[in-house]
Amino acid sequence: MGPSFTSRTARALAAAVTTGALVALAGCGGGGEAGGGGGTITIGYSGPLSGGAAAYGTNIQDGMQMAVDALNEQGVTVEGGEYTVELAALDDMYQPNTAATNAQRLAEQDDAAVIFVPHSGGIQAAQELNSGRSSFLLGAYSSDPAILATGNPLSMMIPPSFKSYGQPFIEQVKTDGVEKLGLLGTASEYGHSWTGLVTEEWEAQGGEVLTDNSIDYSTVTDFAGPVSQTLSEDPDVIFLGGPSQPTALIIEEARNQGYEGSFLIMDQAKFEEMELFTDPENLNDSVGVMPVKEYEDPGTADLVAAYEELVDGERPATVEVSLHYQSVALVVKAMEVAGTVEDPEAIRGALGDAMGEVDDRFRVSGFPTTITDAGHLQNEDLQIAYRNDDGDYEFIAIENAED
Amino acid sequence: MTLFIQQLFNGLALGGVYCLAAIGLTLVFGVLRIPNLAHGSLYMLGAYMTYFFLTAIGVPYIAAIGMAAIVLAIVGVLLERVVFHPLRNSPHTHHMIAAVGAMFFFQALAQVIWGADFRRMDSPFSESVSIAGAQISWQRIIIIVTAVIVLSLLAWFIKRSIHGQTIEAVEQDRTGASLAGISPNTVSMLTFALAAALATIAAGLVAPINLLSPTMGAALDLKIFAIIILGGLGSIPGAIAGGFLLAMAEVMTSTYVSSAVGEAIAFVVLVLVLAIRPTGLFAKAVQR
Amino acid sequence: MSKFTIQHLGIAVVALLLVVAPFALAGQDYVLRLLTMAATYAIAVYGFNIILGLTGQLSLAHGGFFGIGIYMVGLLTTKQEWPFWAAFAAAIVTTAVLGFLCGVVALRTREEYFAIFTMAVGFIIYLVLSRWESVTNGMNGISGIPFPEGFGIVDFENPIVMYFLVLLFLAAAAYITHAIRRSGVGRTLIAIRTSEDLANSIGVNVGLNKQLAFAASTTFAGIAGGLFATVQGFVGPTSASVNLTFELLMFILVGGLGTVMGPIVGSFVVTFLFETMQDFQSYRFIVLGPVIIALVIFAPRGIVGYLNAFVARRRRARARRSGTSAPSVQDRGPSPEEPAGSSPSDTRGAS
Repeated sequence: MGPSFTSRTARALAAAVTTGALVALAGCGGGGEAGGGGGTITIGYSGPLSGGAAAYGTNIQDGMQMAVDALNEQGVTVEGGEYTVELAALDDMYQPNTAATNAQRLAEQDDAAVIFVPHSGGIQAAQELNSGRSSFLLGAYSSDPAILATGNPLSMMIPPSFKSYGQPFIEQVKTDGVEKLGLLGTASEYGHSWTGLVTEEWEAQGGEVLTDNSIDYSTVTDFAGPVSQTLSEDPDVIFLGGPSQPTALIIEEARNQGYEGSFLIMDQAKFEEMELFTDPENLNDSVGVMPVKEYEDPGTADLVAAYEELVDGERPATVEVSLHYQSVALVVKAMEVAGTVEDPEAIRGALGDAMGEVDDRFRVSGFPTTITDAGHLQNEDLQIAYRNDDGDYEFIAIENAED
Repeated sequence: MTLFIQQLFNGLALGGVYCLAAIGLTLVFGVLRIPNLAHGSLYMLGAYMTYFFLTAIGVPYIAAIGMAAIVLAIVGVLLERVVFHPLRNSPHTHHMIAAVGAMFFFQALAQVIWGADFRRMDSPFSESVSIAGAQISWQRIIIIVTAVIVLSLLAWFIKRSIHGQTIEAVEQDRTGASLAGISPNTVSMLTFALAAALATIAAGLVAPINLLSPTMGAALDLKIFAIIILGGLGSIPGAIAGGFLLAMAEVMTSTYVSSAVGEAIAFVVLVLVLAIRPTGLFAKAVQR
Repeated sequence: MSKFTIQHLGIAVVALLLVVAPFALAGQDYVLRLLTMAATYAIAVYGFNIILGLTGQLSLAHGGFFGIGIYMVGLLTTKQEWPFWAAFAAAIVTTAVLGFLCGVVALRTREEYFAIFTMAVGFIIYLVLSRWESVTNGMNGISGIPFPEGFGIVDFENPIVMYFLVLLFLAAAAYITHAIRRSGVGRTLIAIRTSEDLANSIGVNVGLNKQLAFAASTTFAGIAGGLFATVQGFVGPTSASVNLTFELLMFILVGGLGTVMGPIVGSFVVTFLFETMQDFQSYRFIVLGPVIIALVIFAPRGIVGYLNAFVARRRRARARRSGTSAPSVQDRGPSPEEPAGSSPSDTRGAS
């Protein structure tokens, strides 16, 4: 039989759709923004907006958008010209190479001088670009200091280094008679770095480290197995952590199986999110990073309330939201200080001076007070949180680790 | 020993989930010769529908699973009509790509409706029981029991009921079945409905011990494919044996070797079995 | 030996576009990057074309072998400090040898079993790359992969030069496919695709031929992976995931299975289609999913397959009008020009 009329039409249609898409793209390839002058500052963002890490990526996008809206409300003036700030967000599904492609697109097509990437693979891939091929300031959100080891001059590391946490975390829980550490972290890129850090530090403090039962939190169907296995060695302390929600589930499973020791929770998991996913009592006797709502900075209460309103109370504002919120404000202030919206080197150079000038509303959770030569934003008053047996948080001041 | 018993129950519960999910996949394959890569997405949608009935409508847990299974059966039929029926004469490469397209769509849809963040579904059976020193949660016992009941009902359905027998007839001999007046269209739709409903039951059972997310099915897809290939494509006993075998292998190697090996074991077993028996453990004559 | 046909014109136009593109896009490095990536993927897709398009075996280990190519180049150039070209040669040899060995076992299985078996192999390769940390750096990936060492005035740090390097390999891949299809080997492979039993009975060594085709396809994947590593500079294990295999499969289905130009057309069209869809952010797969399904249902032969069929139909019609039947003989019969996506049950061109 020959193709019938309808199927032939349909095929032609499908072909037309594809061709149309191509033509449209060719159009957008030729276009692009007319270069800075029009009074728009574009902040670029490439993060996981779909796929397994989409929740993480969209939370960050929310935080940045809130900063952009707040900045526009205030008005942004650079060298006497009025500017509107815009957020250009692209999806990279957590893929390093897609993140790099997106970064290049944002830098060239949207004239973004600053681009945020929230995962270390994407950051390293983007660094291959801004060290020559393309020029933009990279807002790097990853607590692994390895991202600065490349010596990239146009990177700005946003969160505290996870290395700052290792020693104080362990000192908090490793009292007399506490010997054995169980390992149950997530098998992701920095889950492994964390496991390594904790192992080294625990051994340095004279403890015994048990079998590494790291699992991929996103693909394991039932956590009971790995938990049973970890508990079978009778640990005094368990190190774990990945995304907050599965972490909470694992903690609950361990408590259900009769575990009564402490937890060391890596910085990816947040107390305020875990509290929503399991009976908060399960979290007692754990050490982790400080919840955003516990900060007493001038902008904390407002941001926490505004975020809750934005998401209908479905989830709390975490540091991913707050740190991006304040970082966007910081880079825009740096543009004002440097007097340019285009030159990433000048903007990078002005970050330190801009810190003192950022409006109080953008100071939410440990607003940076210094920037290291390598480009790490740091706050001197870094703290960690210990949730005690009564379910109250105690805060312990710690030092920033050297990068 | 306690650890062994603990892991035995964990393995059985996991095996129950794998079986329920894998049987639907193997049925679709046996009857329609479609390697449905979107099966995990049906499982994911099933979990969300159960969650919806449980939280938004407020029906009891078991009823929520039942209602979600009915909704998913309809989704299964639509998937067959809209996507796979027009492709019935195409080779399996086209089915696979179409299924990937459907998978993308379902995942994105779930993200738009329910958001990208994890959801937790509570089950009324949150207590646990102590067996020989091991703490076993009731939810896991329910999973094992339900799996056995559903599998028995399925066996009865296929052997005894008229509709079930048509499925088996088509699976065994397509030409003969159509000569006997069995409508292939009806059978196709029935198979998809059944497969989606079974996946929903699996998802509804596992959801309380795990989390809901738009990508929860993707991790399962590869494993259930390994299971049905291991058991022999289209073979129901094969899917059952393969499901429990792989679940046990996974849990026990994680326990006694390492968790990284546990993650890979399903595929290593698959590769080894196929290297020795290229048509799986329970091979049957595959018709063209 | 054959006249200049409309197909040749099509090939010439595509080739011209690819050569001229970087100059027309001067200063637009982002578009050039997309072109380079699409060209890199297209080389791997040519590998798919050999094993699937010509031999009819659906190998889903392709993303895995692409990953082996990436990691051979990535690890040898950074950890062992080999020059790129040596590492690249090692990658090619490794993927060829591993492909051949893997084929020995994999090709014992048939049809769907082969597809799922190779999918498992691909996944195991991915797991090894992502979990064998002491060697591969695990999920952290490899950064700082150098550009190829240039000769004389050829400097690969220039993205345009890099693009042409990839294009060179792409042209070679296309030519090899063309040459295979016209040779006895190609006819043997197509005979296997049509019916293995029949091929066996007329004395074709089915096993060896399939194995060679499989090894050739993994080698193409390895070449593409090696180039990908140097083009990107940073790679992680997700570049070798099973999803990549399905992406490549999509490229070839959209372009046209078994055709010479299909992989190029498919890779470029889909890469740019995906990029355009970026504007929909998290909603993009709601659009893209149905688009993929529609393409498979309504245009199963792919763009090039569709154009070929269209041209063939026109030619036959013209031949009928002018009253000679000669041109249809010169058509080299239906098989090579027809897409292989169709199983024997599918209808071959209207007659």
